Amino acid sequence: MFYPDHHEEYSEVLSSLGTFMEKELLPISPSIDTGEVKMAGPRKALLKQGMCQIAFPEKYGGLGLPFSVYAAAIEMLGTAEASTCLSVEIHNAVAEGLNRFATDDQKRTYLPSLLSGDSLASFTLTEPASGSDAGTMATSAEKKGGEYSISGSKMFITNAGEADLYLVFAKTKKGPSCFVVEAPNPGLSFGEDLKKLGMRGSRTSEVIFSDCRVPETNLVGEEGKGADYAKEILHSARIIVAALNVGISQLAYEKSLAYARQRKAFGKAISEFQLTREKIADMKTEIDAARLLYLYASRIKETGGDYSSEASQAKVFSTEMSLRVCDSAIQIHGGYGYTTDELHRHWRDARLLTIGEGTSEVLRMLIARRELARSQ
Amino acid sequence: MTVKIWAVSESPSVANEVASVAAAIAGGAGGGYVVVGLDDSGPLLAGDEKLVVRANTLLSASPEAASDALAVAAKEANPDVILVGSTRDGKEIASRLAVKLGRPCSSEVFGVALGTGALRGKRNVFAGKFIAEVSMTLPCVVALKVGTSPTLPASAALAKERMVGVAAPKTKMVERREKQKGTVDLRGAKLIVSAGRGIKKKEDLTLISDLAAALGGAVGCSRPLSADMGWLPEEHHIGLTGVTVHPDLYLAVGISGQLQHVAGVKDSKVIAAVNTDKSAPMFEASDYGVVGDLYAVLPAMLREIKARRH
Amino acid sequence: MKIAVCVKHAVDETELKVDSGGNPQLKGASTKMSTFDKNAVEEALRLKAAHQGEVVVVTIGTPEAKKTMKEALAMGADRGMLVSADPLAMDTRRTSELLVAALRRGGPYDMILCSEGSSDMYSGLVPPMLGELLDLPYVGYARKIDVSGQLAKIERALEDSVEVVEAPLPLVVSVVSEINEPRYPTLIQIMQAGKKPMEDLTPEALLPGATPPVPLVREMKAQAMARKRVLYEGLPEETAKKLVDALAAEGVLPR
Repeated sequence: MFYPDHHEEYSEVLSSLGTFMEKELLPISPSIDTGEVKMAGPRKALLKQGMCQIAFPEKYGGLGLPFSVYAAAIEMLGTAEASTCLSVEIHNAVAEGLNRFATDDQKRTYLPSLLSGDSLASFTLTEPASGSDAGTMATSAEKKGGEYSISGSKMFITNAGEADLYLVFAKTKKGPSCFVVEAPNPGLSFGEDLKKLGMRGSRTSEVIFSDCRVPETNLVGEEGKGADYAKEILHSARIIVAALNVGISQLAYEKSLAYARQRKAFGKAISEFQLTREKIADMKTEIDAARLLYLYASRIKETGGDYSSEASQAKVFSTEMSLRVCDSAIQIHGGYGYTTDELHRHWRDARLLTIGEGTSEVLRMLIARRELARSQ
Repeated sequence: MTVKIWAVSESPSVANEVASVAAAIAGGAGGGYVVVGLDDSGPLLAGDEKLVVRANTLLSASPEAASDALAVAAKEANPDVILVGSTRDGKEIASRLAVKLGRPCSSEVFGVALGTGALRGKRNVFAGKFIAEVSMTLPCVVALKVGTSPTLPASAALAKERMVGVAAPKTKMVERREKQKGTVDLRGAKLIVSAGRGIKKKEDLTLISDLAAALGGAVGCSRPLSADMGWLPEEHHIGLTGVTVHPDLYLAVGISGQLQHVAGVKDSKVIAAVNTDKSAPMFEASDYGVVGDLYAVLPAMLREIKARRH
Repeated sequence: MKIAVCVKHAVDETELKVDSGGNPQLKGASTKMSTFDKNAVEEALRLKAAHQGEVVVVTIGTPEAKKTMKEALAMGADRGMLVSADPLAMDTRRTSELLVAALRRGGPYDMILCSEGSSDMYSGLVPPMLGELLDLPYVGYARKIDVSGQLAKIERALEDSVEVVEAPLPLVVSVVSEINEPRYPTLIQIMQAGKKPMEDLTPEALLPGATPPVPLVREMKAQAMARKRVLYEGLPEETAKKLVDALAAEGVLPR
């Protein structure tokens, strides 16, 4: 919407991805939720299509398109297959982190295969005892000869056990730092796939580091700057999470429309009743508002401005909205809503994101701090 | 104004239908109809006249040679309407004749009728969502949709022969593998139980075949099961590019009901569907539908059918 | 090997709406590459991969047909020719004549590929007409194509049989949709498609002095579905029984 001169080009890209998602992912999405179908194959096919090339520089295999095009693609993927979307956006966030903070050599080494989908990444920050307060992380990285030895454990890590590359945040003498750890590594092991309420197709577990050795050259950026890098990566990822939840909500909403039209009560379709219409109106309004918020934050990011507040606003609003919309969807579907996995999974999938990648509580603090600072 | 009609018997299986249509429209036109056969493929059907066109090469092996030979004979006899069945080879013959004779041509046509100086008919368009009127000025060539008309008896009356010289065809058929007889021909089936992507594994097709067997019917499928997954041979594929069927009962199991599939079953007397997805288009195209899991519904149906028999 | 693929920019029949008069809403209708033409493009690309060469796509359609041509280019075709004409406004003879004129400009080709029929009209008449008008061998309904030197060996899928046919190059072939699974172009390919050579052609330039085209097919009315659409929901035992009862009442179950 912001690029009238490139409208045709960007539409072609999105429409082609959309067709792929609709034909190859949407039909198997319920089976990915139940575990009957494993995500790995479809995810790789999607990455090979170019899902994670959109906003990256051409010299590493990217398409050099604006960030908002990627965000719009994520919304479509959130609709088509939410678990895969979560997995892919985490992977992409790591690639973005490397693109911003790694050396040219490191980028040449790692980015091409991440962008082509030949390898999968995992963002490894959260710990059993430290989430939002990342500064208190316990995982440490000690310099030993020409290597770092990483010890500690991370928790609730998406793509853990499946990824080829882990972007790990561990404390050195100078403070939290950022490392690339490639799998397999003798000092790297994983916990059991955690049983989650939703996003069940995506593997989430503990990541355990026992004297996990990586060369010095695997340090990304400067020692002690890891927390800053993590923050920057997360600001961007929050726009994407907002888009993901808009996608989930959109599907729940469309199913509700279709159901309301054909379900009859008291001799007429329930879509005729005022209270159903109120729900429909509110669902649509909130979805559209959330969409505009993530696109707005994208635009500020594209123009190089400080978008941390807008990204957080988009995430808080979209994730909380998605719970309202998915809950309304269950309500509209009545008994079938409560008893049909394919329907209630939208709420179950959406439920993660007021928690992950920055809780709503912490992000509200960020927004207020930012806005108070701006208004001085 | 008499109108002379040719009914070309390119394919034995549809020759009867083509001749029936010719007989029907010739009835009002006064010019009579000629049943035209290729080579000497057996007794032709009842016709005002019968003509066998033969050449120095086997015409039934080459639609190109058949078109060449028919064109020579047609230039002499000048039929106003040439009818042929809209089979794959039939359409080739029709389009080649149209070019050779400089006539308008249409395919997949049914419901033909003669008007003044023109032949009118109907055909399905947009995967059967719409019916279109077709109008061709005479003389014309028409490929008739098969499976839509009643049949005529064969006749022992003698046929005139026309021996024609044609150039060697540009292509050579080196092998023909007939599809095994005894395997299903859904075109004549009165009851079909059909499987779609709702079937998760090839082994689960027994649910379909058991129900079909209990009902004395045949097994069909939507395109993905034959073309993509190879679970059933191509003869079972029902749809726009597969077989068109018109059974008394068509039961679509786990089939979403894409237009291209529905195009092949529209003429069924009763259509029923089983699908977990309430919004599946197949329900729109059905008389009766069960929203449910086929893995539970089909065994329940089988039990119910067996119970009714006792 | 130089291969031409004829691709129709067709009305998307799955999205086509009905107006209040029961006629198709053709104006502003969604359009797409005719479904089975994708298989023809895919087959051309496979032959190119096996034998080296060039794939040229010839598209007929209204100006939005450029989108379809770009799709074929994104899949891997090398060049495109776009004939700006509405295929629904002419008969198959005229369509064939336009294609022949376009093919003669860019040729000669070793093989000209088409699909078994368009997804909107499905006449199947154009490919054999191309053979006639170009005086080339024509093999229809190919489910397998092998090329060795100047000879093509093709398996034809007919209603009751499979024929194996040999023909010399150059020739015209139509393919059935079962022949292959068309590839998805990657995003990089989509973005680069716009840079490939594309030529615009008009009917006036291709067939100067031709009379205005007239479609044989007209007056389209929506099929009355008139299906009962009775829906049963509930436990499988109950719904199964209801369905069997209903079908028995219709008289379509054997005694």
